[in-house]
Amino acid sequence: MNPFLLIAARNLVKNRSRTLLLGGAVASVTLLLVVLLGVVAGVRQTLLENALALSSGHVNVGGFYKISQSSASPILTGFQPIKKLVTETVPNATLILERIKAWGKIISEEGAVQIPVWGVDVKREKEILGKLMLAPKRDYIEGFKLAEGQTEFEGGVDQLANRAGIILFATHARKLKVRVGDTVTLSVPTYRNMSNTKDVRVVAVLKDLGMMSAYTAFMNDLDARELYQMQPDTTGQIMIYFRNLSEASDGENKIRKALSERGYPMLDKDPNPFWMKFGRISAESWTGQKIDVTNWEDETSFIKWILDVYNALTFLLTGILMLIVVLGLVNSLWMSIRERTGEIGTLRAIGLQRSKVRLMFVIEAFLLSSSSAAVGVALGTLFNLILNSLHLPIRGEAFQMFLMSHTLTVAVRGQDVFFTFLAITIFLTLGSLYPSSKASKLKPITAMNEAV
Amino acid sequence: MNKSDYFIQLNQVTKDYQLGKVIVPALKGVSLGIGLGEFTVIAGPSGSGKTTLLNLIGCVDTATSGQVIVAEKDTARLTEVELTDLRLHTIGFIFQSFNLISVLNVVDNVEFPLLLQKKISKAERKERVLHFVEKVGLQGHLNHRPNELSGGQRQRVAIARALVTQPKIVLADEPTANLDSKTGQTIIDLMKHINETEKTTFLFSTHDHHIIQHARRVIELQDGLITKS
Repeated sequence: MNPFLLIAARNLVKNRSRTLLLGGAVASVTLLLVVLLGVVAGVRQTLLENALALSSGHVNVGGFYKISQSSASPILTGFQPIKKLVTETVPNATLILERIKAWGKIISEEGAVQIPVWGVDVKREKEILGKLMLAPKRDYIEGFKLAEGQTEFEGGVDQLANRAGIILFATHARKLKVRVGDTVTLSVPTYRNMSNTKDVRVVAVLKDLGMMSAYTAFMNDLDARELYQMQPDTTGQIMIYFRNLSEASDGENKIRKALSERGYPMLDKDPNPFWMKFGRISAESWTGQKIDVTNWEDETSFIKWILDVYNALTFLLTGILMLIVVLGLVNSLWMSIRERTGEIGTLRAIGLQRSKVRLMFVIEAFLLSSSSAAVGVALGTLFNLILNSLHLPIRGEAFQMFLMSHTLTVAVRGQDVFFTFLAITIFLTLGSLYPSSKASKLKPITAMNEAV
Repeated sequence: MNKSDYFIQLNQVTKDYQLGKVIVPALKGVSLGIGLGEFTVIAGPSGSGKTTLLNLIGCVDTATSGQVIVAEKDTARLTEVELTDLRLHTIGFIFQSFNLISVLNVVDNVEFPLLLQKKISKAERKERVLHFVEKVGLQGHLNHRPNELSGGQRQRVAIARALVTQPKIVLADEPTANLDSKTGQTIIDLMKHINETEKTTFLFSTHDHHIIQHARRVIELQDGLITKS
């Protein structure tokens, strides 16, 4: 065994109270960081799953059509050859489908909401929409109590296969004071600056998925076509799904390049959902069609700030805690150096170079920080796995909105665990450089005399 | 012996310590030479400058003026790295308080200086360590840590550690001061035996008259000056 490693390990064992105290603090900070990163990753994962179910593929090919300079319609005309080109360009895509984008007002006797409404073919999207869960009646019917013989749920997503239906999320059903079977009026401004309306029946109310569900409803795609008086070769957007998220970026680039090379006019990259681009596109002077290629992150960018806040809070909190732990480590090393001043002097006298003295203390800090970080990540991972298996319900509406789910989802990702371990170990080892360097500069005679 | 034959040579060496605003002279122009194979005692009362003299010869301290030459090298002209290297390869130290590494056992303590010397194989290290541990009579205590040994045994470990690199000279600062007279006598006998068998130069300080009589050469110090050499 390397003598410096041996000395470091044995000194840590010798001063076990101090080692345990400091190691415990390092392990606790590591655990906290793993848990926080797990929560953030969980929210991101939920956001991705929600986005893929509600409003986006991994990659989307949409566009805007301007019949006049001041208008902008989120439609894609002549979509079949585009879809064919996309299919040829990304053969690794697992699912390619199209949806119609609508932006309309849903009106009930008690209220109205203005939100994006997706025109979908339920049979084709079974795999995607099947991931959504029905909301229990108590989520949207005020004062509802389950009586004997009653069922907790009503309606079903598959009922949207029939015309004149709409699926709402619980948040909108509550606001509109409607339930399954009630009729609402859908009013949609058409591309000719007129409004078309249609009475539709609520066929299902879905469990809220945080902030994203506040921006989503579904209707039958044929009803959407009828409302917008769309031609059969026109759609809202083509959504492309891949087996792995990692394929999305490459897929997006390939699709953009292929469309551009085929001579389709393209919009410059704008990482925002389609409904946030109306103002800008309407103000542009061109007419005709331009194609817009986006990815799932672009389509959810309006809530990406939540992730940014989580990340910022995580790093701020752990940054402060790390600083405290580093100060603790530096203090502990100072104590160790003071206690071992004589030893340092002796070692220097018998021929140990300054660099090796520095190495000796850095190894000690490395051993302490790496072993404590290892314990921290192990406990943090275990804690995250337990949290995830418990499916803890999130009670407050605000929390549900920000955590994008009704239950706490914590993702355990190897890269987060590895990053945490590495970051803590490197940060604390670097923190030991200053006291180690000071120790190495002690003159042998001074060190030996001080010890006496 | 010619001046150039000395392995250690001091020319008009002075050493002053500053205690607050007061300058205290520890050595006041000391000149001496020590040849290889000597068994020499530096004798003198407390405060006479014995430890200071050993520290300067051992390259752990620097002279205020004068010249300290060790192994033909003027120590004042050496860098910190070169001085450390000189200590590692040329000089062995035995301290009054033994100064062993408390967390290492006998074998590890003795082996430590060898690990700092790069070109020694593991097999040779093991052979040398066992040779010197046996030489100081501690073969039955290989895995004992310093706190499991008596004072005499600790000093034996220190002697083995000082000898294991096969230095040209071993400096010992009052090696028997913390030992009872019987154990102290044993330690001196051991050092003398090693001097005779291994031809290692020993230079040690003491104010114990019983030990002084075993020396082949006595350098007497009084108030920072050599009174007898």
